[in-house]
Amino acid sequence: MTIEELKKKLDEAHYIYDDTLVTTLAVALKLGRPLLIEGAAGVGKTEVAKVMAYALDRELVRLQCYEGLDESKAIYEWNYQKQLLSIQVDQSLAKVAGTDSKAESAALTKSLFSEDYLLERPLLKSIRSEKPVVLLIDEIDKADEEFEAFLLELLSEMQVTIPEIGTIKASSTPFVVLTSNRARPLSEALRRRCAYLYIKYPDIEKEVAIIQAKQPGTSDRLALAVAQAVHDLRENDNILKKPSIAETLDWIAALEALGAVDLTPDMIAGTAGFILKNEEDMEELLESGDCGCHHEDGQPCDHHAADGQHCGHHHHHHG
Amino acid sequence: MAYTPVDNDIYLTHMAEFIRLLSEEGFSVGTKEVADCCEALQFVGLEDRSVAKAALRTICARSQAEIDRFDQLFDAFFVSSDQKLENLKRAMKEQQELAEKRRQAAEELAKDSKYIDSDDNTINIYANLPEEEKERLRRFMDKFRGHADRNPKLYEGFIRSVFMKSIMEQQLLMEDQELGVQAVDPEVGLMFRDISQISDHEMPRAISMIQKVTKQINGELSAKKSRRGSSGVLDFKRTIRKGLETGGSLIRLKYRHKRARKRHLVLLCDVSGSMIQFSEFALRFIKSLSDVAESSRTFIFSEDMVEVDPFALQNMDMFVQYVRTTGLYGKGTDLGSALAKLCALRPAALGASTTLLILSDAKTVKLEDAQAAMITANQMAGDVVWLNPIPQRKWKHLRSVQTMELLCRMVPCSTLSELARECRKLVLS
Repeated sequence: MTIEELKKKLDEAHYIYDDTLVTTLAVALKLGRPLLIEGAAGVGKTEVAKVMAYALDRELVRLQCYEGLDESKAIYEWNYQKQLLSIQVDQSLAKVAGTDSKAESAALTKSLFSEDYLLERPLLKSIRSEKPVVLLIDEIDKADEEFEAFLLELLSEMQVTIPEIGTIKASSTPFVVLTSNRARPLSEALRRRCAYLYIKYPDIEKEVAIIQAKQPGTSDRLALAVAQAVHDLRENDNILKKPSIAETLDWIAALEALGAVDLTPDMIAGTAGFILKNEEDMEELLESGDCGCHHEDGQPCDHHAADGQHCGHHHHHHG
Repeated sequence: MAYTPVDNDIYLTHMAEFIRLLSEEGFSVGTKEVADCCEALQFVGLEDRSVAKAALRTICARSQAEIDRFDQLFDAFFVSSDQKLENLKRAMKEQQELAEKRRQAAEELAKDSKYIDSDDNTINIYANLPEEEKERLRRFMDKFRGHADRNPKLYEGFIRSVFMKSIMEQQLLMEDQELGVQAVDPEVGLMFRDISQISDHEMPRAISMIQKVTKQINGELSAKKSRRGSSGVLDFKRTIRKGLETGGSLIRLKYRHKRARKRHLVLLCDVSGSMIQFSEFALRFIKSLSDVAESSRTFIFSEDMVEVDPFALQNMDMFVQYVRTTGLYGKGTDLGSALAKLCALRPAALGASTTLLILSDAKTVKLEDAQAAMITANQMAGDVVWLNPIPQRKWKHLRSVQTMELLCRMVPCSTLSELARECRKLVLS
């Protein structure tokens, strides 16, 4: 898929991108390299995998990583219950038939470790699928380092080795997207096998475009005011949990539900829970001089949010 | 996609040279990356410089810091022909200006060659001095030249010391610039900046960066702890219990792991005037690392030494204020007496399972006493690590650092990045 074709597909999915992002995606796709995406929480890393599944018209197979994730949850597991049942059924049949040869039991043992008894987990499923898929390995930094080692074979050779069966090569090559919030540094070996993309929070212009793409019908004025306010919150060092893009969209939806046409202190106070998710951040919003709203020329309003004073056209007390 | 025909040899040679440059700069790249870069460039074409740059960046850069460095190197390596011409013109102009500056500097210094050694290096540094500093020195010389002529014995040394102070300050500035301490990204820049140069308004950001790094280290620590390897002695009890899930068949084996013993940490922090900022940062770092040690005791010293009440360290924002209340703030440094006092504590603070962590710049009075006390501390403690905020390149000029370096493991910790690296080693080793 060329860069132009990919751009067209992303446009269809109403996905807002820049040239760096689309070039990175196209190059990773062309080279068949897994793509490692890093960035703060909520910048839209997971969304990249979803939109690529749409753009390539492929199924999205997702593996959510967590501490303690091992190969039995990620790659494959033997179906123990089915194996035990098989053994019992076979023993019963042998009793009825009165036969109990060693050759038969050896054949049974062998058959117990065949693909019939294999439970596919996301990684194996993604490489055994006839049609190529998009494989999302989400929050790889939450998994243990040991799990990274399991991934290496899959990412570089596109194959998985199961001791009892042998090596299973990929029937189709998935497009692999790994995301990390950088809770811990990933191993050099893993990084070396991946193409790399770092996503920053969008600038105001891009955030307005995202709002308008995802919430069509939002007024330009409200979209700009919200994007500016969110941008200021992210710039504020005292805000502990920076608002994500999804939270911006939630906030816009909440404001629209209340019929807001502009971002007034009343509206901010009433809907702050959609954008800030802890008490300290709420207090910071109310205590800091920046109440989140702006003059029409884009300059921040210089009145204190807590005192209810505000710039001329929209002024009321905070709730 | 557009494919730009280029001479294959030149194209490959340039690509390989660029990858080699990246490799020299610490990027983990090799032959595979050359091949991938060529394939990527064939795919995206060479018409759009920013697209080509993004394509190569995708393959070669693997972290946020590497992305910034990659952009700098790419822009320096692949210049457009217009840019090349412009660079050449600018370089010629700069060279001419520098030559003129040097000529003027040599002329000025020649006037006072009696007091100042005008070698090439001094001329070069003097030429780079800001104009106001040069003017200050000129005025100073005009004022004292007459005195010096009348009484050379009294004034010569004075004139030389004032002059050399300016020259040395400028030299340090020039060295720092060469090291590229200010990175493009202000956050990355802060990580690599000398801790003593972090200004008050940057403190909150520096502190939040420390929190971020310690969170990362704590994450690594918990990942390391929960790592379950298939080695060691079989744990029968847990294996049998796990086997119940599979009808009594012992399919998943559980192993017994040796419990890691934590060390006892003794921190000796220098809180003399020049060290307070570094000590505050280092203490913040170490205190926010979870499980760093079985027990830890912190002592602060300048002319005297006192043990810090552990509760006082719970709120690091009050640290400087706390140090002021102890009366140690802003005094000189006497490491020898502090170490001797520490060694003489009963019950003993130092033992075979203790790691003594010294945070100091080693600028102490009574160096011989400090040396003797250090030898005793070395014998008493299991391990002695010295975090020194003075950049390593300056160690060779400091006798005290050279002396102490021989007696313990001294590591340079002038930046947050180095401090983070040492703390990581301390915790994860």
